[in-house]
Amino acid sequence: MVSSQALPSRSPLEEVRRAFFEWARSDGVTWVYVAKVLTAAMLTLWLAMRLELPQPSTATITVFIVMQPQSGQVFAKSFYRILGSLVGLTVMVALIAVFAQERVLFLLVVALWVGACTAGAARYRDFRSYACVLAGYTATLIGLPATLHPEAAFMSAVWRVLEISLGILCSTVVSAVVLPQTSAAAMRNALYQRFGAFAWFVLDNLGGGQRQRFEAANVNFVSQAVGLEALRSATRFEDPHMRLRSGRLARLNNEFMVLTTRYHALHQLLERLRSQGGERVLQALEPCLDELREVLGPWKGKPLLDRDAAALAEQLEMRRQRLMQRIREARAAVREQVEEVGERLDFNTAAELLYRLVADLHNYALTHASLADHHHERENWKFGFSPKANLVGSLVAGARTTLMILVFGLFWIETAWPSGSTFVLNAAAVAALVSAVPDPAKLAMQMAVGTFFAAILGFAETFFVFPHLDGFPLLCVALAPVFALGAFLSVKPAYGGYGLGLLVFFSFGAIPANMTVYDAGRMLNEYIALVLSQSCAALVVAVLLPPTSAWLWRRLEKDLRMRVVEAISGKSAGLEATFESRTRDLMNQAYGVAARRPDVQRGLLRWMFLVLEVGHAIIELRNEQARLPDEPCYAEAMPWRQAIRSMGRALIRLFVQPGEANRERALAAVEHAILTTKATEEPCAPDFESSPLRRVVSYLHFIRTTLLDPQSPLRDASQGTASHAA
Amino acid sequence: MLLDDLPREIAFHGVYMPTLTALFVVAAVICWGIDRVFASIGLYRFTWHPALFRVCLFACLFGGLSLTVYR
Repeated sequence: MVSSQALPSRSPLEEVRRAFFEWARSDGVTWVYVAKVLTAAMLTLWLAMRLELPQPSTATITVFIVMQPQSGQVFAKSFYRILGSLVGLTVMVALIAVFAQERVLFLLVVALWVGACTAGAARYRDFRSYACVLAGYTATLIGLPATLHPEAAFMSAVWRVLEISLGILCSTVVSAVVLPQTSAAAMRNALYQRFGAFAWFVLDNLGGGQRQRFEAANVNFVSQAVGLEALRSATRFEDPHMRLRSGRLARLNNEFMVLTTRYHALHQLLERLRSQGGERVLQALEPCLDELREVLGPWKGKPLLDRDAAALAEQLEMRRQRLMQRIREARAAVREQVEEVGERLDFNTAAELLYRLVADLHNYALTHASLADHHHERENWKFGFSPKANLVGSLVAGARTTLMILVFGLFWIETAWPSGSTFVLNAAAVAALVSAVPDPAKLAMQMAVGTFFAAILGFAETFFVFPHLDGFPLLCVALAPVFALGAFLSVKPAYGGYGLGLLVFFSFGAIPANMTVYDAGRMLNEYIALVLSQSCAALVVAVLLPPTSAWLWRRLEKDLRMRVVEAISGKSAGLEATFESRTRDLMNQAYGVAARRPDVQRGLLRWMFLVLEVGHAIIELRNEQARLPDEPCYAEAMPWRQAIRSMGRALIRLFVQPGEANRERALAAVEHAILTTKATEEPCAPDFESSPLRRVVSYLHFIRTTLLDPQSPLRDASQGTASHAA
Repeated sequence: MLLDDLPREIAFHGVYMPTLTALFVVAAVICWGIDRVFASIGLYRFTWHPALFRVCLFACLFGGLSLTVYR
C-alpha cells in the first residue's frame, strides 16, 4: 500500500481513528441525519398516540416534510409551514361554511384557491414559496375529506393544526439539539471559502485563462450568490448572532456580486484588447495588474476569516495609493508612445475599471471584517434580495393545477369513487409540492414511483406485520426500516423525490390512526388512488406547458434583457443592488429550467454577461451624473447629457428588440455621446480621479467595446432568431 | 393572587383548550424576548450548546408558568 509505506510510523489504532473521522465528515453526516429523522418521527408518533390525536400520520408526515439536514432550514420551513397551514385552514373552514351543500361550486373554489397558491409557490423563490405550498396543501387536506362530513370540518381543522404543530415542535427540537448541523456554520464556511475561490478565479483569468473554466466559475458564483441568500434567510431563524449580522451578510453578498461584475468587465476588456492587438496598452497595464496579483496572491484558494479580512482591508488601503501612482506613471508612458485616441481610451477605461475593482475589494474586505462585531454601522443595509420567478411562468403553473383539480374532481363526482377525495387531494398536494422546482415533472414522477413502493410496503406492513405486534416499541421497530430508507433517499439530490414520496405516502396510508381500522378493501382503494393521482399529476405537469421547454426560457431570456431597460429607466435608489441580484436570480432560474439543453444554457450565459456589462456601465454612468457638482458645463441641458439620454433610448430599443439595425443605431448613439462628452470643456484637470467627464467617457467607451464585440449575442441576433427555432 | 385561580381549560370560539396551550404561546413570546436580549449582549458566546440552552430556557419558563395551573 502506498499510504502505509509513506507513513510507516502510524499505528493501526491511529489509522482506524483517521478513517472514522473521514467517514464522520462525509457519510457520517448522512447517517446522523437519518438517525435524527427517525428520532423526530418516533417521538412525534409516540406523543401523538399518547395525546390521543386522531391522526398521528399527519403529525409524522409533517416531520418528513419539514426535516432538512440543516437546522436553520428546519426552523424557516417550520415557521412558514405553521403560517401556511393557518391560512389554508382559515380559508377552508370559511369555504365549507359557505359551500357545504354545493359540491360543484365548492370544488371550483377549491381549485381556484389551490391554483392561486401554486402560482404563489412558483412565483416566490424563497421560503415564502413554502408558505404558499402549504396554504394550498393544507386546505385540500382538510377541505376535501370534510365535504363528506361538513359538520365535523371545524373540529378536524383544529385537530390538524394540533397535529402539525406537534410534528413541527418535535422536528425543530430534535434538529436543533441533537448533534446540530447549523446553517450558520454552513454559511460561514461558504463565505470564507468563496473569497479564496474568487482570488483563484481572478489570478487564473487575469492573463487570459480558459473560456470554459471562466464560464463555469461564473455560473458557480451566480448559484452561490442565490444559495447564500437562501442560507441567510434560514440563519436568521436559527442563530441570534447571525440575525444581528443579517444586514451585513446581505450587503456582503451584494458587494461580492458587484465585485464579480466589475472583474468581469475588466476581464472582457482585456480579452478584447488581446484579440484585437492592443499589445501596447496591455504592456502599459501590466505593472498595474501586478499590483492586483500581489494583493490576491496569498489568498488564492485559502479561506478568508474575519480577522484576515481586517488585515486584507488595511493592505488594500495601502495598495490603492500605490496603484494610483502606477496608473499615473503608465498613463504618462501611454501618452508618449500611443497617438491613437481609441487606444488611449482603452487604457483609461481599463485603468479606471482596475482602480474601481480594488476599491470594491476594499469595501468587501471592510464589510467582511465588520462581521466580527455584534453591532456595526455597516449593518444598515436595506436593499433586500427578493428572488422571484417569471410571472407568466407561475401563472401557468397555477392554471395547470386549477385545471387538473377540476378535471380530477369531475371524474370523482361522475364515478362516485369512494377514494375520489384522496385522488383529488393528492393530485393537488403533489402539484403544490413540485411547483417550486425547476423540473416539476421529474420530481412528480419520482414521487409517483416512491408512492408505488410506499403502497406495497404499506400494505405488507399493515396486513402481515402489524397484526403480530404489541406495543409502541415493536411498532417503531417495524416502521424504522422504511423511514430510514426514505430518509436516506431523500438526502441524495438525485433520488430526493423517491424518498419524499415513500415517506409521505407510506405514513399517509400505513401509520395506524387512533382507533385503528383494518379494512383491506378501503386501503387498497386508497393506495390505488394515491398512485394513480401521482402518476396523473406527473403526466399533466409534463404535458401541459412544462416549464422546462422553450417558451419559458425564451421568456427568461427576454426578462434578462429587460434588466438593461430597468437599469436605464428604473428608480435610482438601490438600483445597483436590485440590478445585480435580480440579474443573477434570473440567470440561476433560467439555468435550472434549461438543464437538459447545454446549448441554451450557454446562450443564456452569454446574454447574462452582456446584460451585466452594459447594465453595470449604465448604472455607473447614472451614478456619475447624479454626483456631478453644480457647474454650468454639467447642466442637464448640455449637449453631452442629451447625447447620453438619446443613447439610453437607443439601448432600450436594442435590448427590447435585438437586431443589426438597432445595434448600429445604438453604436452610433454611443459614439456621438463619446464625441460630445470629449468636446465639453471642464474646469478641472483631465485625470479620471478629478474629472467626472473622463470617467463618463471611459464608461461610454466600455459600452462601445461591448457593442462591437464579435462574440456578443447581439451579433447572432442579427442573423435572425434561427438559433431559437429548436 | 390572580394567577392562583387560573382555570385548567379556556374556551376559544367554543372549543375548550387546555390553559397550557395558551401558556405555551405566552412562554414562547417571553422566550423570544429574552432570547433577543441575550443575543444582543452576547451571552451565547459563553454557552456550550446555544440551541440546547434556548430549549432549556423555554422548558424552564413553560414549566414555571404551568405551575400556576397545576400544583
